[in-house]
Amino acid sequence: MAEKVLLVDDEKDFLSVMSERMAARGMDVTAADSAEEALAQVESGGFDAIVLDLMMPGMDGIETLKAIKQRNPTLQVILLTGHATLEKGIEAMKLGAMDFVEKPADLDQLTQKIKQAQAKKMVLVEKRMEEKLKSIITSKGW
Amino acid sequence: MTLPSDPIGLAGLQYFGRTTASVSHELKNALAIIKENAGLLNDYLLLAEKGTTIDPARYKTVAVRIEDQTRRADQLIRNMNRFAHSVDSPVQSVVLDDLVALLAALSLREAAMRQVALTVRPTQSTITVTTAPFALLTLLGNCITFALAATQPGQTITLGIAPEGHDVQILFDSLTGLADMPGEAFPKESDKALLTALNARFKADGPAGRMVITLSGR
Repeated sequence: MAEKVLLVDDEKDFLSVMSERMAARGMDVTAADSAEEALAQVESGGFDAIVLDLMMPGMDGIETLKAIKQRNPTLQVILLTGHATLEKGIEAMKLGAMDFVEKPADLDQLTQKIKQAQAKKMVLVEKRMEEKLKSIITSKGW
Repeated sequence: MTLPSDPIGLAGLQYFGRTTASVSHELKNALAIIKENAGLLNDYLLLAEKGTTIDPARYKTVAVRIEDQTRRADQLIRNMNRFAHSVDSPVQSVVLDDLVALLAALSLREAAMRQVALTVRPTQSTITVTTAPFALLTLLGNCITFALAATQPGQTITLGIAPEGHDVQILFDSLTGLADMPGEAFPKESDKALLTALNARFKADGPAGRMVITLSGR
């Protein structure tokens, strides 16, 4: 199954070339060049992974990560940055980011992480469904 | 641990570090785009080897992107190089127009992060001053940081230079939120030390949305 990926970066040339390369690897890519656009895309949903630039004008990557996790905690976010600092990395992981990749990224490595994100999301969604089912069964008292 | 108290030296180092970090981040972005376009060329070659015909226009798009990003990286390095040379001599004669243009170029990313644009108003004739260029850039860089905090997203800050008798003024205009900024926010202690060292004065006019640095006796 094609991984559904939301790619978020304010560098339009980067978005364009990455989208083309990821699509050529069988991924279903949606591009967003701002945090606001990314959040609107998240609402329409269904992404297996979100690849998010850490430094963006207006709402930065950390703030966007918080907003994404608030909307849907099962969404898997991989942060992408031009200059990774240990502090930012730790902060992002604490906020629930799945991984942290430094630019220029290795596309094979990123693809691997996206596949991991898809698997992780599926486990989380299944677990959620199971819990929901369990709660319905117990509440009905059958 | 107690560090020696040198507000001007520390402010200079902080500005140098901030600027270097910003430029290196921009460079990484340019390199990332160049790398991905090289990767895309490789993808096209693999497809071509398998017999897929690739539209030449796609190669052209890649070439244009690489050229654009190389030009961008080159400009960033030129600016960084000029900035690095500002410490060559503590005091020297500088063309103020060039120094303000360099300041604007070095501050573009900081401004973009706040969704504010920067423009430089052209002067009628070139103004030359004898000053400490690195200290002046540090002071003006701190002014920009404050000016950005005093401007709403979507606005444009205009930088200008104007002779004022024997003095010269560096103007920061269209600071739409300046009147709402707390008085103690700028200048800070290190900025006051820089103003004294540069024989300069600072004035803010909240309702007019204008900040002025006046350099005495050019």
